[in-house]
Amino acid sequence: MSDASKPGRPKLFRLPTARHRLRRDIDRELRFHIEGRVEELVAQGYTREQAEREVSERFGDVGTVRNELEEIDTMTHRKREFGEWRSALARDFGYALRGLFIRPGFAIIVILTLGLGLGATTAIYALLDAVVLRPLPYSDSDRLVYIDHPVPGINQDTHWRMSQAGYFFFRKNSKTLANIALFNRSEATLVTPDGAERTRAALVSDNFLDVVGSRPYLGRAFTAADNRPNAPPVTILGYDFWRQRFNSDPQIVGKTVNIGSETSQIIGVAPPTLQLPDYQVQIWAPLELDPDAPAVNSHYLDAVARLGPGVTIAAAQAEAASLTSRLPEVFPRAYSPGFMEKTRFSVMVASLRDTVIGGMSRTLWILLAAVAIVLLIAFANVANLFLVRSESRRRELAIRTALGADRLHLAGHYLSESILLSLLGGVLAVGLAYAAVRFLIVLNPSSVPRLAELSFGWRPLLVTFVVSLGSGVLLGLLPLTRVAVGGTDVATLREGGRGQTASRRQLSARSALIVAQMALAVVLLAAAGLMIRSFERLRSVRPGLDPSGLLTFDMSLPWSRYGNARVRGPDGYLPSFRFYRELTQRLSALPGVTNVAVTTAIAIKDGDGCALVFARERADTRETAPCVGNVLAGPGYFETMRIAVRGRTVTWADMEEKNGAVIVSKALGDRLWPGADPIGKELRPNGTDGAYYHVVGVTGDVLTHGLDQPPTEIVYYPMMPMEGAPLWQPPLHVSVAIRTHADDPLSLVASVRSIVSSLDREIPIANAQTMETVVAKSTAKATFAMLLLAIAGGMALVLSAVGIYGVISYTVNQRRAEIGVRMALGARASQVGRMVVGQSLRVAALGIVVGLAGAFAATRVMQSLLFGVSPTDPVTLVGVTVLLVTLGAVASYAPARRATKVDPVEVLRRE
Amino acid sequence: MADPDLDLLRGTLDLLILKTLSWGPMHGLAVLRWVEQVTGSRLQITEGALYPALHRMEQKGWLGADWGYTDRNREAKFYKLTAAGRRQLVAELSKWSRYTEAVNLVITAEGAK
Repeated sequence: MSDASKPGRPKLFRLPTARHRLRRDIDRELRFHIEGRVEELVAQGYTREQAEREVSERFGDVGTVRNELEEIDTMTHRKREFGEWRSALARDFGYALRGLFIRPGFAIIVILTLGLGLGATTAIYALLDAVVLRPLPYSDSDRLVYIDHPVPGINQDTHWRMSQAGYFFFRKNSKTLANIALFNRSEATLVTPDGAERTRAALVSDNFLDVVGSRPYLGRAFTAADNRPNAPPVTILGYDFWRQRFNSDPQIVGKTVNIGSETSQIIGVAPPTLQLPDYQVQIWAPLELDPDAPAVNSHYLDAVARLGPGVTIAAAQAEAASLTSRLPEVFPRAYSPGFMEKTRFSVMVASLRDTVIGGMSRTLWILLAAVAIVLLIAFANVANLFLVRSESRRRELAIRTALGADRLHLAGHYLSESILLSLLGGVLAVGLAYAAVRFLIVLNPSSVPRLAELSFGWRPLLVTFVVSLGSGVLLGLLPLTRVAVGGTDVATLREGGRGQTASRRQLSARSALIVAQMALAVVLLAAAGLMIRSFERLRSVRPGLDPSGLLTFDMSLPWSRYGNARVRGPDGYLPSFRFYRELTQRLSALPGVTNVAVTTAIAIKDGDGCALVFARERADTRETAPCVGNVLAGPGYFETMRIAVRGRTVTWADMEEKNGAVIVSKALGDRLWPGADPIGKELRPNGTDGAYYHVVGVTGDVLTHGLDQPPTEIVYYPMMPMEGAPLWQPPLHVSVAIRTHADDPLSLVASVRSIVSSLDREIPIANAQTMETVVAKSTAKATFAMLLLAIAGGMALVLSAVGIYGVISYTVNQRRAEIGVRMALGARASQVGRMVVGQSLRVAALGIVVGLAGAFAATRVMQSLLFGVSPTDPVTLVGVTVLLVTLGAVASYAPARRATKVDPVEVLRRE
Repeated sequence: MADPDLDLLRGTLDLLILKTLSWGPMHGLAVLRWVEQVTGSRLQITEGALYPALHRMEQKGWLGADWGYTDRNREAKFYKLTAAGRRQLVAELSKWSRYTEAVNLVITAEGAK
């Protein structure tokens, strides 16, 4: 063997040495050959000179041959090295695998711990990837913007949507927008011979498909003529709907369907991918738009636009702002300067994606940070396990080093084991994450946008793979740091593995890990605690109604048979009223049902709009009058919802008399008539000049906008406008609330459906749900964040407990001798126990202090998720501190007990 | 002396080396001498072909190489057949005989009438 392959020489210096060796061997071989030839000829009688000339003549150019040989040998060398490396790798992994089967406990704990930490991270990352990072499913979707109107003068967070006049104005005058389109989420009744069905519909302007960069799968798109008022009804079917309900009929275009009791012609089928954001559209229909209609200040349309080439959102925003400021001069009747000033009506151009994702982006990033902390804690635990094991392997390491294993060989040995383990952890993680994401889809939290698009992308898989590979490398290199600091030498062998001296450095490394772990746990638990506290606050909010035992559903009466307010039946009722009244009576007769009411908006579930209201005593103008919610509530609404009313409620008799009795919410009463009793006061909506409604009742505070919102200002008008002020048509799109004794209000749905269809088989019911579901949905975002943070916090707690227990327990084992000596010298068991617990508490305390500082900094970003709790809520922080101190004490209890059981005699004998 | 008409056919060099080494480990010069001796110098291998062939076969794993001492106590690189080399020799031999048989069939055939 040559002398160039001394063990321990770093790889860097080996290749040149190898090349040098190859070259030298070639020279030796060739020189031997030439020498031998020359001697042959000399023996035949040549002179030496002649012989040399003869040989070199026959040999040809020695240099060429040498170069060729060198090339071949270099390749041989490389192949051999690669082969050795490969077989070493296979051998190392083989050893690792065998080792794991021999000691499955270690492997299982490492795989489980890493799998849990990584799994949580992968799941949240998959969610973040699908919801936030992936573009919307429209072509070139980064260029799509959403346009609406903030009205900070009314409410800081309120945005109004686009108006029809605004749409035509922007479309005509904007230079920065390539195109702008309108859409509305809506519902439509599809009537077939099998019955009536409520479908999800999208109402769009003619250019909607152009703007989102799509084209019909079959047939044609809408044209401007389709949007005109009184245009013949046309429909484009959603792709999935066409496949399921129309059996993918290729001849569908040109056929007709009955939508809302009107005959509508099918002009096309939408492409498979086309949906509204978070709305699986079944039927596409044209919006009714009239470019010649006088401008009305009515903002009910969603506007989506495509930016012109090279235009930034900021540029589009600037132009939209300048266009908006011209509205009062262009449409003085709809947008008076007073209105603009009072509402501070402005415009906002934002990326469509940001609008769709909304606040969820921040929530998900916070959750990702939370699970990343769990991962770090899990990693710290595993690192501790590896450190402990490397300690117990010091002898093995020393023997290997003494036998000439260089650091590379050792690295290969340890890395193969740790990488194998962490990759297995990664596999487990992907499985767990997949299950978690499935579970989440089943759970279907309404607060998470784009959930329908959720699938496990390649990015989460890649990230998991990289992270688990990285942690494997780190864990494998951990024991090698021992070699680097000279921890393993012959001394270790001589010590016979009994030494206690070398472990001091190890111990401090492990304590540092525990301190970091505790600090991270504090941050995470503080976040989870804050969420739990604000969730509690939210749950303890009284919405002003009783959601238990309530069933709600929506219903739409076709205009063609119920819309005409002039047609009355022989009993003098409008057809819609007769329907509502009969429905109410029939539903009330159902067993267990106590109250039934029809209304245009159910508190919390539906928005209640905004309309100007004028009180008789106040000298409000159109500019100063408050814009408040208005709901047309049928008789029995307050009794059914159990909304407290002082005074009296509105009855069918009031409706028939059209006497103008109304109910106001307490918040509105306080605003319009501060300090006075609203009962007996008079008010009117915008547009009735002479006639005033009179207040007959005041509700308690009702939070119709959700539990985290202030009490609503609202007027409950009767469904039938008062005599002489026919401002509204009887409503056709209504919600119904039913109060029942039944344990599960949903059990009524079948009977409700058959009653409705027996009254009119072309009227379907939709969105049947309990009021408790409605309330739960309104807190869904907080629930979602709280639930996941609480899970992460729980994992952090358990992992930290395991971590601190492991280290304290190990220390006790290490210090057995010392403890034995102490006890031999007269230390009492209680003193020894206190010493162990004290050590645990010191480490925990340090971690808690660091963690509290971190929590102060970190929980600030959660402000928007919190309700009624400050990010530095002292109760939470103290609670977390107490929890972790307890944890430190409990985790060290068992090791402390073990320490007190040390038998000094036995220990001293062993020494 | 060398017969210039008997240029080594391509691919036969490997066969010659494998066969020669089947008698035992040899250094490059010995391989050369053996071939010359057996053929009465009718076949001559040039050094420029021999050594690359030896090294290439070493790379393929047919030959093993070790430094050792000659009878006259000189250090030389000795080649020997590996197990793979032995298998290769068998394969090359059968290939060679099939080849020469085929060539013989052609050159000894009666002309077409």
